[in-house]
Amino acid sequence: MSPSSTNNAPEHSGHPPAVRVPEADGPVAVGEPRTSQTPERSGFMAGRSGLVVPLVLAGISTYLVYGIVTMSVPEDTEFPGPRFYPLLLAVAGYVLALLLVLEIVRKPSPPDESNSLGVYRFHSDWTALAWLVGGFLVFSVGLEFLGWIIAAALLFWCVARGVGSRRPLFDISLALVVSSLIYLAFAVGLGLNLPSGLLGGL
Amino acid sequence: MESLGMLAEGFQGALTPMNLLWVLVGCLLGTAVGVLPGLGSSMAVALLLPMTFALDPTAAFIMFAGVYFGGLFGDSTMGILMNTPGQGSAIASTFEGHKMALNGRAPQALATAAIGAFIGGMTASIVVVFLAPKLAELSALFGPQEFFALALFAFVATSSVVSDSAIKGLASLVIGLAIATIGIDAMSGVERFTLGAPQIFDGISLVTVTVAILALGEVLQVASRIKRDRDGKQVDASGRPFLKAHELKEAAPAWARGTAIGLPFGVIPVGGSEVPTFMAYDVERRLDRRRHDPQFGKGAIRGLAAPEAAGNATTGTAMGALLALGLPVSSTAAIMLAAFQQYGLQPGPLLFERAPDLVWALLASFFVAMVVLLILNLPFAPLWSKLLLIPKPYLYAGITVFCGLGVYATSGRIFDLLLLLGLSLLGFLMRRYDVPLAPLMIGMVLGPLAESSLRDALLSSGGDWSVLVTGPIPLVLYGVLLIIIALTVRSKVVNRTARDV
Repeated sequence: MSPSSTNNAPEHSGHPPAVRVPEADGPVAVGEPRTSQTPERSGFMAGRSGLVVPLVLAGISTYLVYGIVTMSVPEDTEFPGPRFYPLLLAVAGYVLALLLVLEIVRKPSPPDESNSLGVYRFHSDWTALAWLVGGFLVFSVGLEFLGWIIAAALLFWCVARGVGSRRPLFDISLALVVSSLIYLAFAVGLGLNLPSGLLGGL
Repeated sequence: MESLGMLAEGFQGALTPMNLLWVLVGCLLGTAVGVLPGLGSSMAVALLLPMTFALDPTAAFIMFAGVYFGGLFGDSTMGILMNTPGQGSAIASTFEGHKMALNGRAPQALATAAIGAFIGGMTASIVVVFLAPKLAELSALFGPQEFFALALFAFVATSSVVSDSAIKGLASLVIGLAIATIGIDAMSGVERFTLGAPQIFDGISLVTVTVAILALGEVLQVASRIKRDRDGKQVDASGRPFLKAHELKEAAPAWARGTAIGLPFGVIPVGGSEVPTFMAYDVERRLDRRRHDPQFGKGAIRGLAAPEAAGNATTGTAMGALLALGLPVSSTAAIMLAAFQQYGLQPGPLLFERAPDLVWALLASFFVAMVVLLILNLPFAPLWSKLLLIPKPYLYAGITVFCGLGVYATSGRIFDLLLLLGLSLLGFLMRRYDVPLAPLMIGMVLGPLAESSLRDALLSSGGDWSVLVTGPIPLVLYGVLLIIIALTVRSKVVNRTARDV
């Protein structure tokens, strides 16, 4: 799996994420559907956003093919060399991607199931996902500079907010308590090497 | 009775105070994660996998055994009370189990499930003690073509039998196999698919993939729907959780039949205990129809007892297959295999010779874990459901922080954290579009074995493909595979057309 083929996944999931998603924050938004607008289920992509799966699969196969072509293999390698098995996988990936496309084009998925609290423009809550993914990105990149306590608290806070917590100030203190406890248990207690970052100089 | 002597020594290893503590911790953690709606035992094991850095191997595996079985117990508790099975293997139990709970028999349903799981797990553990050494001896005779047949068997069975769409299952498998090819090729030393990045010369860490696909991907999926789906309603489970004599008599044959159905499936790689639980449910339903007052659809105790026993029986023998053959049959078993590899141990025939202390202590701890879980779950099941009082935002925030902690702890690199994020998006997409995850995990774990045995076999035969179907063992394996596929296609059709509502 290449980083490039996973990263392009959300961009291709059919729709831009920002449009008409119910607000994740605000005092009354949790669980409140916007029923006033009926989502249009027309157009070719309706119910066919699952096409992103064969796209990812074909992307992986393409990455394999690129790797096979650019691989530097010693001249005297006997059959089957290091290229042989990935080539089988790449071919299988293309065939399966094609079959998946056929399946999705023939049978688009039905509109949201009845268990839903309302009718939404998208199946997934992209605002919530953005909080989670963004939070994790900041955590990963900032971990060594900010230190475990601050970075992990930030991650905790972002996820809690994304999943629907409505008490941002309380969450900050809870997040700091959780990240500090983990630091004490794992870095001080078990001797694990967690970065102290900004707070390290104090 | 060599096995019994070894097992006695194993008990000596497992019953030390520290190891008992690890069993208890594992059982508590496993049940806790299993009880939380939507979270299954594979997530519990995935979250704990990185923690192995802090423990010695025996303690770690003893804890894993507790988590593994504890997750199954916890899964069925919530499946019965809320109709939210956390894992495919708990689905069959929820049909009749949840109806029993709705009819005011929730404590009895929980007791039936716990006792069934105990009987299935205990029987399986006994079978494993006697069978695993024999299996290990048998697999010592395996050459490359036998191992390739075994791996191919596992691939095809998990990806086509378990998932609803065989194409999606195979797609998941190919993704897993492709991830496993990244890094320096062990046979030729050639760098493959690394784009020159030194971070992945050794391949992509199995810990990172596991945490991404099974834990963080799950959190993303939950978050994407949490404000939009109705919460399940929990049935009150207070009351005496003990079965009356006539209920015991009613359930007993179902427990026995379920166990008998579940046992062989541990060694057949069809992706875990989903298939045997449905088969056990189906058998009970057919038998029920012949009675003069059919109970199914009204909360039949047998419809719950059989799948519970079958599920745990399969899980038990699956551990035996993992230890003796190195063959994981479910994603949880695949993670256990990853844990062995973390310690530089390779499950399979040699494990019994090289690390007998570990193997037998682990087998002994199965028995201990079963007893502990019965004690934890029989009287206290209603208490476990109090875990639902944890506010969901903090629960998922905590899980996410633990994902980050685990991966950073084992790799010590920012690179792996970013990889974790990327792969978890893949996991989210797969969940969103109902692509099964078990084939990916099994492909990732068994991919290197499949490739090296295929290439070994072809090298030794000079490129002659017929070497793959030479010898009795591969032929038998391919034959059994065909039979299994035919049977599951048939049972799927039957299950789809007739399910009591």
